[in-house]
Amino acid sequence: MVSARYVEYRETRMKSRGQPDCLYAAVHAAEFPAQAILRLRPDLRSHPCVVLAGSPPEERVCALNLHARKRGVVHGMTRLEVDELGNIHILTCFAETEATARNVFLETLLQFSPRIEETFATNASAFVLDITGTERLFGPPHEIALRIRSALSTVGFRASICICTNYDTARIKAEFSSGISVIPYEKESEALAPVPISALHLELEHYETFALWGIGTLGELAALPEEELIPRFGQPSRAWLALSRGYAEHTFQPMEARFELKEHIEFETHIEQLDSLLFVCSNMINNLVARASSRALSLASIRIDMSLEGSAQYKQVIHPAIPSNDRKFLLKLMQLEIAAHPPQAAVDSLTLTAEAGQHCKVQLDLFALPMPEPSRLDVTLARLKAIAGADRVGSPVLLDSHRPGNFQIREFSINDQLFTDAKTLNRTCLRRVRPPHTLRMQLNTGKPAAFRDGSAPFCVSVAYGPWQSSGCWWAVDRWDLEEWDVMATNDSGESIACLVVHDHLNGKWLLDAFYD
Amino acid sequence: MPSSASLRKQIESAFEHRYPSVLTPSAKAVREVASTGISQIDDLLNGGLPVGAITELTGPASSGKTSIAIAALSRRIQEGGVCAWVDANDAFDPESAAANGISLNQLLWVRCSGTQTANQPDKFRTSNFRQTQPWPRLDQALRATDLILQSGGFASVVLDLADESIEHGRRIPLATWFRYRQAADRTRCSLIVLGKAPYAQSSAAVVLECEQAALDSANHNVIRRFIYKVHRHRERFTSITSIDRKPPASIWSAHAMWNTEKRA
Repeated sequence: MVSARYVEYRETRMKSRGQPDCLYAAVHAAEFPAQAILRLRPDLRSHPCVVLAGSPPEERVCALNLHARKRGVVHGMTRLEVDELGNIHILTCFAETEATARNVFLETLLQFSPRIEETFATNASAFVLDITGTERLFGPPHEIALRIRSALSTVGFRASICICTNYDTARIKAEFSSGISVIPYEKESEALAPVPISALHLELEHYETFALWGIGTLGELAALPEEELIPRFGQPSRAWLALSRGYAEHTFQPMEARFELKEHIEFETHIEQLDSLLFVCSNMINNLVARASSRALSLASIRIDMSLEGSAQYKQVIHPAIPSNDRKFLLKLMQLEIAAHPPQAAVDSLTLTAEAGQHCKVQLDLFALPMPEPSRLDVTLARLKAIAGADRVGSPVLLDSHRPGNFQIREFSINDQLFTDAKTLNRTCLRRVRPPHTLRMQLNTGKPAAFRDGSAPFCVSVAYGPWQSSGCWWAVDRWDLEEWDVMATNDSGESIACLVVHDHLNGKWLLDAFYD
Repeated sequence: MPSSASLRKQIESAFEHRYPSVLTPSAKAVREVASTGISQIDDLLNGGLPVGAITELTGPASSGKTSIAIAALSRRIQEGGVCAWVDANDAFDPESAAANGISLNQLLWVRCSGTQTANQPDKFRTSNFRQTQPWPRLDQALRATDLILQSGGFASVVLDLADESIEHGRRIPLATWFRYRQAADRTRCSLIVLGKAPYAQSSAAVVLECEQAALDSANHNVIRRFIYKVHRHRERFTSITSIDRKPPASIWSAHAMWNTEKRA
């Protein structure tokens, strides 16, 4: 028997509009703790896996995949019971991994609608999207559902999807069905008929009453007369009937999601091998790139945070020369960075946090000199740093000081303004001796006359100087030098022109550079 | 008995899928050159150092080879290119480079240290390894040069082996130089090798031997300029008649970095 209010509601709606003015897509990812871990571990997806929650020895199964369910695992089993079944991967539940996965899940859904409301679901992640008016963008409801499922599959989630004009109908149907359901207008009650009455989250005593009456599904509840139900259960029963008949009203409260490119994974066993770590990193980078690409963005930097065995932390940042979405390139940079700065202990957890940037637009020039490709240059620089050392590769920068040979190395990059107004001046150059060699000097009337560099004796033919240089007398690193330009010849007749320095502070003669 | 023409045709057709015209000499093209900025040396080399080839500047200490390399780099950088200096002995002087007009932010400097890194091959981790051995430095320099050449985009790369002994330089495998030649040709990069002697042998397009000729001073107390002499020993891409017509050596000078009159 259908209540008069329900009939009135439907007639009013059909007369006034003829068709519903809103459309909702409910997305329900069941067994979310398991999905949160397995989405970054594709190698485990084809194996039975369970996730345990709680502290030992009270750990119990809180989530499992389909393969584990087929092996007879159910929720609430202890670790011992799972072990008895044999050959089942046991994973540990981590709140941070789940939270990161939820953000990724939500962000994927944001591609389809900015209006999203999260719904309560036990052991699952569930959202309802307001997709009203998106048919022109994504096609008819079934097409939208397929697209949502495809997008979620890309980031490693499986979810049931229900599209309906009624919010609660979509939510309940998505929770209690699998795959894609599209409920036509006015067919809500029929669609909800087979759903168990537990979908209404009633109190225990009410379940017992309905069980006595032989009411087990929403279809059976919907068939009860409203006039008879309300005197027995009170006003809440009106809402139950509205839910079970598919006309419950709901005020949509969209949430404001924060865009954060972050991936996190906790390992159940410590990772010691770089290859194993990179295998996981690869999936995480793929997800980050996919999420950035969906917003027409690139990854400008990636921060690597690792928790190491013994509560140590590892932090490194990768800065590509230009924002990039090239997965292989980013993974290579990460490999070189981690190889250059290896973690000092086994890895417990890994977090990648990326900063988004705009795609790089480069205007090429047919007649310009070839320049290093930015992404390739990054990899080359990282490899060079791995070979020679991070502080020994880059561009020299002269410091504003009178101290001889004062410079520092900065990161080499291709900047936009490459052309300079400088002219080739054709001046003779120095070759520095680093560190300067100590000489045994012989003087003649205060001028260098001969010196010995190790075992090689040199006879000075010309010595011009001295030129005094001193500074920073107030600091520890002060210098007080006397420079001489010297032409010298050794026993074999080889002639050299060099810069010899007398360090007054240490009382040493030093071979500082060669003119070449 | 097949004629030589038919035999050649058979061989060429047999190798056609791998090498087109395997027995036909490739047509000679005019090689692109890059000016060094030193007119005497440009005249000696028909315009400058070859692009996409190896040039060796050889000679003892104080023979002016570093000045030539820096002048060539300065010219390439002023044309808008980026260059690299692979320093096997950490002898590069940024002040001299800046004084010669090099924009330092367009120069990649790799300072080989000789210390072992995580990526060092195992052969250098033997128990009797001594830090005084030049092999780690040389190995770093050669690998760095290889990477830079293969990555492409650099107008000119200097491999500075000027302080390495001739014995060590000659132990660099010829295959390394062949690979450099191929990479330089493919990426249109001028590779300049500084050394005490020529090491690249047939892979080098040009070999110049430098020596110090004289020293010019002001008032006999300040160096005004160094005068150097350059001998041309090899020039692969120029016809023999052209080489015969050119003088085999040239004199050039490099001024001191300071204001001579003021310093005197």
